[in-house]
Amino acid sequence: MHIAELAGKDPFSRRYFMEMTAKLSFGLSLSVPFLPRNFKAQEGGKAKNLIYIYLAGGMTHLDTFDPKKNSDVMGPTEMLDTNVDNMKFGSHLKELAKVADKLAVINSMMSTNGAHEQGEYIMRTGYEKRATIVHPTIGPWAETLLGKRGEILPDSVLVGQSTSNAGFMDPSLSPLPIADPTGGVPNTNLIVEGERFDRRMQMAQKLGQQFTEKFKYTGPKSYVEYYNQANRLLKSDALSAFDISSEPNRAEYGENRLGQGCLLARKLIENGVRVVEVVAGGWDMHQDIAGGTSDRLPELDVALSTLIKDLESRGLLDSTLIALGTEFGRTPDINMNAGRDHYPAAYSCVLAGGGIKGGTVYGETDGMGKKVKANPVKPEDFLATIGYGLGMNLEETVYSPTQRPFTFADKGVPVTALFG
Amino acid sequence: MKTRTFLVAAGALAALTSGLFISPVQARTWTSVDGKPLQAIFLGIEGDNYKFKLQTGNEILVPKDKFIKADQEAAERLAKIGDDSYTKASARQIDTLLATNLKKNGFNSFNAPLPDDLFVRRVYLDIAGRIPTREEFLAFAESSRPDKREALIDELLLSPGFASHLFNYFADMYRLHASDFQNGVRMDPYIEWWREQLEANRPYHEIVTEMLTAKGNVGHNPAAGFLLRDTGMEFDAFANFGQVMIGIDISCAQCHDHPFDEWTQGDFYEMAAFFGNTQRSLGYRPADSMMAGGVIEMPNAPAGWKNNFEKWAETNKGIVPRDQNSNQFRFFVSALGWNLADNEALQTVFPHDFIGDGGKPNEVANPRTLIGDAAKVGGKTRREAITQWLTAPENPRFALVIANRMWGRAFGQAIVEPVNDFSDEQIKRSSQPEVLAHLMREMRRVNYDLREFMRILYNTRAYQSVASAEEPDLTKAYYFPGPVLRRMRAEQAWDSMMVLAHGSEIDQKKGGDGSFYKKILNIDFNTATNDDVWRHYEMWQNLRGGGSAMAMVSEGDDYNPVLVTDNELRASELPQPAPGASMLDTFGQSDRRITDDHNYDGSVPQVLALMNGTVTQQLTGISSKVVSDLEELDGPDDKVRGVFFTLLNRFPSKEELDLGVGMIEDFGDEGISDLAWALMNSPEFLYIQ
Repeated sequence: MHIAELAGKDPFSRRYFMEMTAKLSFGLSLSVPFLPRNFKAQEGGKAKNLIYIYLAGGMTHLDTFDPKKNSDVMGPTEMLDTNVDNMKFGSHLKELAKVADKLAVINSMMSTNGAHEQGEYIMRTGYEKRATIVHPTIGPWAETLLGKRGEILPDSVLVGQSTSNAGFMDPSLSPLPIADPTGGVPNTNLIVEGERFDRRMQMAQKLGQQFTEKFKYTGPKSYVEYYNQANRLLKSDALSAFDISSEPNRAEYGENRLGQGCLLARKLIENGVRVVEVVAGGWDMHQDIAGGTSDRLPELDVALSTLIKDLESRGLLDSTLIALGTEFGRTPDINMNAGRDHYPAAYSCVLAGGGIKGGTVYGETDGMGKKVKANPVKPEDFLATIGYGLGMNLEETVYSPTQRPFTFADKGVPVTALFG
Repeated sequence: MKTRTFLVAAGALAALTSGLFISPVQARTWTSVDGKPLQAIFLGIEGDNYKFKLQTGNEILVPKDKFIKADQEAAERLAKIGDDSYTKASARQIDTLLATNLKKNGFNSFNAPLPDDLFVRRVYLDIAGRIPTREEFLAFAESSRPDKREALIDELLLSPGFASHLFNYFADMYRLHASDFQNGVRMDPYIEWWREQLEANRPYHEIVTEMLTAKGNVGHNPAAGFLLRDTGMEFDAFANFGQVMIGIDISCAQCHDHPFDEWTQGDFYEMAAFFGNTQRSLGYRPADSMMAGGVIEMPNAPAGWKNNFEKWAETNKGIVPRDQNSNQFRFFVSALGWNLADNEALQTVFPHDFIGDGGKPNEVANPRTLIGDAAKVGGKTRREAITQWLTAPENPRFALVIANRMWGRAFGQAIVEPVNDFSDEQIKRSSQPEVLAHLMREMRRVNYDLREFMRILYNTRAYQSVASAEEPDLTKAYYFPGPVLRRMRAEQAWDSMMVLAHGSEIDQKKGGDGSFYKKILNIDFNTATNDDVWRHYEMWQNLRGGGSAMAMVSEGDDYNPVLVTDNELRASELPQPAPGASMLDTFGQSDRRITDDHNYDGSVPQVLALMNGTVTQQLTGISSKVVSDLEELDGPDDKVRGVFFTLLNRFPSKEELDLGVGMIEDFGDEGISDLAWALMNSPEFLYIQ
């Protein structure tokens, strides 16, 4: 598990650290990701920020964004009109139906991964899961391709999970994990304050010196850097960006992890964080699809619609791309446990804000929601679309420490038609 | 069908082994009180006598009191763990091979020998999974026994910490997770079974055999948990089998031919077919299941039992099928059917879009192994056949995989990496093919006794060297002049904190054992009445009402579980895995979703936890055990040494001593507390050198 780069105000110290790390690590080509670049944003790249809502477990497509007239596959869900003529949602999505004109729905997602682990992996990294390498998620990629943005605050934050990593990239690029959106950054209240705290830090540094000099390993040295980062963070007032306790519209987002996660994401974006991933579970509805959807869908409905309206009212919707992803859909046939099983052959994802043309339905499945009929979009295409929206150079090669070349979202092709 | 290179590699390994010079076993020299030497292998204690085997092969009995005190102590030790003459001969053999290889590649020899203080910290962490207490540290430092190193190694190998620490390793490798991710059935009995196997030091191949051939549910056969772990994800289960037991990741061949290796998609399905008639649950079958056909009945109950019971519950207990309020009832019945069985009607079929060799789309795939001699089914179940193939002497891979992993535990780096996916070519190209061959042979010689195997490694000169000062370059071979510097596992860090808070008694404290789950699932369907089964459903309900999802369950009365809420236990006794954002999670404990997923990287949340967390407060505050235990020491010098002995298990340098003394002179107990905080917050605390 790692942490985002919470680098200090002095760029020299950061560069010094990076160079030091580069010398000690094994062939990691830092020159590519870390040198200042003259980056030309791609045409589509209107978005400056990203909120990626990830629904872990596999969101049912038929009950949400791809409902069918055929009642055999619909189970308990009915079809609902939206504020856009040709867009229909599942009956639980009452609030989203009112902002459908802000949404671009992709109903032709296709994945080859029917297992959660692998499916989620490619939806969050753009790469098939391999036993030999860990690919970075969007946050570290964005920081690498677009350059570091924040000084004290990290460039990317992961809400809803307690661990994160930067894959083959430098651990300092890891998103800052915030397991509980209402909990803030844990362990930021000092045990002792003021001079005594400084005394302790100084002593720890002195006592650690001999050890870190003796062993020329990256590990202990990275700890020294993490202590510096933590120290800077504790002494700044940036921590308040993680505190949503006094936000006036807390209830509007929904008093659940997804809703509060979206609120935290909004606040972090407002404070300069570039990429916030909000991960929420509970979507693996093998049993009782009726119960599952009536629990989860209203949460999603309220959280996402509120987020859109909130960003819009703050003038942030145009510069903030919202993406809704999941690893696969769920079977059109309802199983003997009244649930739906994994269904990677066809599913739905959603984009909004950040230059996206709202009121769009892209791709189509057959009358049962079983087969993609037109414009298939693979997970890597979906990520490439996000990257395109953020103005990332999809051609730029970044090398792993083992000198394997990688580009953002593998060979994914962005769906440029979604941008207006 | 391709010819595999595996047998070739096996042959190469065998040739390497047979050509080796084997170190002779030098029996220990025992000394009588009147100074006479006796060279013999110690066999055990019989009454007031020691039993020895002489070089002639004869066995003799000699009264205990004929021997000097040091030898009597040694006899007591060896009586528990076995004579170490073979162990030492094997360790010498490893050292010879390594030294030869070091020289051949332009290195002088091993790193400097490990000093006593670093030795005691390292073996406590490596063997018992935690740092020593100040008392344990001093006992070793002050001991003048000539055999104190091997004595400490043996003592720790026999301590509860050994099994606890090894459990953490296997929990990561085998992805031990208390929840099944589905219906609220819990894996606690299976997890407890793992603890018991390791506490009993059961041979590893027996553990594996029991898991692969288990039948039933985790209530009456906890070993079934291994295959039940991936219910509904048969592909993952099979890929996991490949990774942990044969050290090959074949998961990509599920969808296409392996891009880098020789596995084809056809191979995948044919080997997976060994598990093709393994039935895991009642009726549940995902869209991407590789199994097809077959009638799924409750495996351990008379035909039609499930329907009858559900109808009975509907009539007598007001259960409304498909109603939300009856979810728990359905989960309960589904849990009862969560049961490992061999169902001949089930088959593995090639996928509908299969284009490879060996079969046609939707055709039944017959079991065939990817590597080595084919496993034969005749008369055995498919799972028995694959298990026999796996552990057969002709298959070097199984012993090799576990030996290589155990080496990695001792040295911080395995000989071939990654340990769960390496090709035969990699073995041949590794820095130490001879050592690997020796380790494989030794793993078999000790009959997969992991304690004895680790004892060999810990007794090598290579292990008892200081850690290499330079980080090994992963693109180049590492010749093992000593172990590499390692960060503690999350569990080692946590267990060390626990020992700082509670002393060595923490090793004895037990957590939940899952016995209540066993009771719930233990139903004999042939004799139980519907009312009896309903009683079990009530137990199920009591359990759900009783505590949080992560609370552990231990023994309870017939109806009500006892929940263990104490979370100040060693990591192996806590819920598996520890909850997100806990100290263990923060320090990289695997979430147990994929194999070998522990993370050793640092992070800002980690250092924030060490700086400001409640654990740190508890460990280094003025009233902490660490600080208050030092009251018995006089003078600032001794107190400073005491803090160093407690936290870093070493002597302070002159500078460090002066710094600490200054703190105590200026700030008294507050200064001790500051010093303790500073040592916990210096990187050295988290590392094993």
